[in-house]
Amino acid sequence: MTSRSSRKLEGGGRSARPLLEAFKLTKTYGTVQAVRGVDFALSENSYVTLLGPSGCGKTSILRMIGGFESVSSGALSLDGNRLDETAANQRPINTVFQNYALFPHLSVLENVAFGLSYRDVAKSQIKALAMDALKTVQMEAMADRRPRQLSGGQQQRVALARAIVNEPRLLLLDEPLSALDRRMRKDMQIELKDLQRRLGMTFLHVTHDQEEAFALSDQIIVMRDGRIEQQGSPEAIYAQPETAYVADFIGGAACIPADVIVREETNVVLKSAFGTFTVPSVPSLSMGGKAVLCLRPEQVSVVQAEPEGKATLKARVVHQVYRGSDWLLECDCGDQIVQVLHRDTPPAVGDDVILAFDTSKVWAAAADPRVATLSETGAA
Amino acid sequence: MRRSILSVGDWLALPVVAALIALCCAPLLILLAYSFFQVDFVTISHDLTLANYAKIAGSETYRSLIARAFGSALLVVALTAVIAYPVAWFIAKRVHAAKSTLLTLLLVPLYSGDLIRIFAWRVLLGAEGAINRSLMWLNVIDEPLSGLLFSPLATHIALTYNYLPFMVIGLWLAFESLDDRWLEAAADLGAPTHARFLRVILPLTVPGLVAGGLMVFVMVAGDYLTPQLLGGASGITIISAINDLFGTAFDWPLGSAIAWTMLSILMLCFGLGALAIRRSSLVAEDV
Repeated sequence: MTSRSSRKLEGGGRSARPLLEAFKLTKTYGTVQAVRGVDFALSENSYVTLLGPSGCGKTSILRMIGGFESVSSGALSLDGNRLDETAANQRPINTVFQNYALFPHLSVLENVAFGLSYRDVAKSQIKALAMDALKTVQMEAMADRRPRQLSGGQQQRVALARAIVNEPRLLLLDEPLSALDRRMRKDMQIELKDLQRRLGMTFLHVTHDQEEAFALSDQIIVMRDGRIEQQGSPEAIYAQPETAYVADFIGGAACIPADVIVREETNVVLKSAFGTFTVPSVPSLSMGGKAVLCLRPEQVSVVQAEPEGKATLKARVVHQVYRGSDWLLECDCGDQIVQVLHRDTPPAVGDDVILAFDTSKVWAAAADPRVATLSETGAA
Repeated sequence: MRRSILSVGDWLALPVVAALIALCCAPLLILLAYSFFQVDFVTISHDLTLANYAKIAGSETYRSLIARAFGSALLVVALTAVIAYPVAWFIAKRVHAAKSTLLTLLLVPLYSGDLIRIFAWRVLLGAEGAINRSLMWLNVIDEPLSGLLFSPLATHIALTYNYLPFMVIGLWLAFESLDDRWLEAAADLGAPTHARFLRVILPLTVPGLVAGGLMVFVMVAGDYLTPQLLGGASGITIISAINDLFGTAFDWPLGSAIAWTMLSILMLCFGLGALAIRRSSLVAEDV
């Protein structure tokens, strides 16, 4: 019970030191490296998302922080104290599990009160605190029900109440919305973000859904194959992806392979199969290096005549998807598919079109070794 | 379409259900009727009377034999529960590839027949048996331990051994449906090891404990051979008394009354057990 002493919420108590730090954190299962020496830090009162496809190691990181998996090498610290040597039940951290893991033999109220009996709380207080937590998630009317009598969304809320009632320093959420239908998921996203703001707690949320990550996060950590690919605000990750992988995974940018022929202050001059472009880029790109030109659907438009000050590509429409407010066109530029967001009546499938984009608005990211080999053979 | 297939099923099941009712329930009802009759020299008078039940309630011997039968059953249930609990946990949670092999091995003794198992224990426990010989050879004892065989100890060792697989199976099923995430959640919420056992593992395996316990309880209460062949002087049980009443003593009504007394107590236990499983919420009806 060492670090679980203070009961009051400290929303504004920001210090220079991060809340949680990971140093060269590694997890090995047999011969498989699930997490390959990652470093990151979480600050107080923030909503952070670990984003990546399944098998990228994000859940392993969460389970190491929760104490359900041992740390193979490296270290974790919470408030400057070594965390990875503390038993799971001694950590001031609580988890919302993927399938909620509510105790089936206890009522909703008993589930929420479970953790309070191991904290420094007077017995007479436990019921009132548990009811308060249920009110926070609008589940007080269900207090006497058993978990199996609740819908998925309701179980989700109870799992949330069971975790936050203990006022953890850090709340872990393991794909908490994946079992809900799409509409419920959207509602819960808003509620989760609201709850995090109200409680001033730090939430660490694992998901494979980039839309979800964008809806919730102050910070996104994009993971791939056990490594961190990029960490930053949603805006930075969307507008300035560091690698072709991030550009493709977040928002599905078309990545045109290119060589860096000139490095300027913030721009690079790229030479690609479609021409030479001067575009802003990640600082890591240098002359002679491999890069990708990232074109997002909303940055490209179909034009009638060659516009001034814009770069153009010749393409043929191969597919169109009506999305209510707009169309998403898939255009083939010759071994390279570029998606275009189109507002008015679109050209028909099979039409030849000219695509234009503003070179100052697009972005050059580092080429991905695997993607590069594929597209180089395509461009040749 | 589905409906008609179901109704065909109903018709196909009907003869089987009818046969089961006729062959299982009818003999019991005949037995129940006999328990209200009385022996009149060498014939059975069909005047209804409660005298047989009064005799059982008034007889010190029958009361203590019945109490001993259920006492033994409870003791064996407790012993098998304690032994089976870790075994069932191990098979369900720690073994993966060898799971079916272990479960089959567990059931192998059941295929060998009661008598063979009982005589195997005679070989082990007898004055010239393996245990006595080993202890003598090790110079732990100078002469064979005589209390090992033909004693309540021998009976209960053999009963525990005989019925252990049923308890293991009951508990194994309960452990199989025990999600490890519940334990992680309990640890996450601050529960230390013993609390995780008492507040999560134990309550969630109660249905297995009750199911296994009921099977063992019923079978031990009705076991006749084991005490007869291993119990020596303690081998007289309520079941052997019923056997005598139906055989040499020719008092079918009293035998029937004792049988029905036993049956009523067992059914009461079953009812309570079923209630306990239902209340444990694991099989609660969904709303």
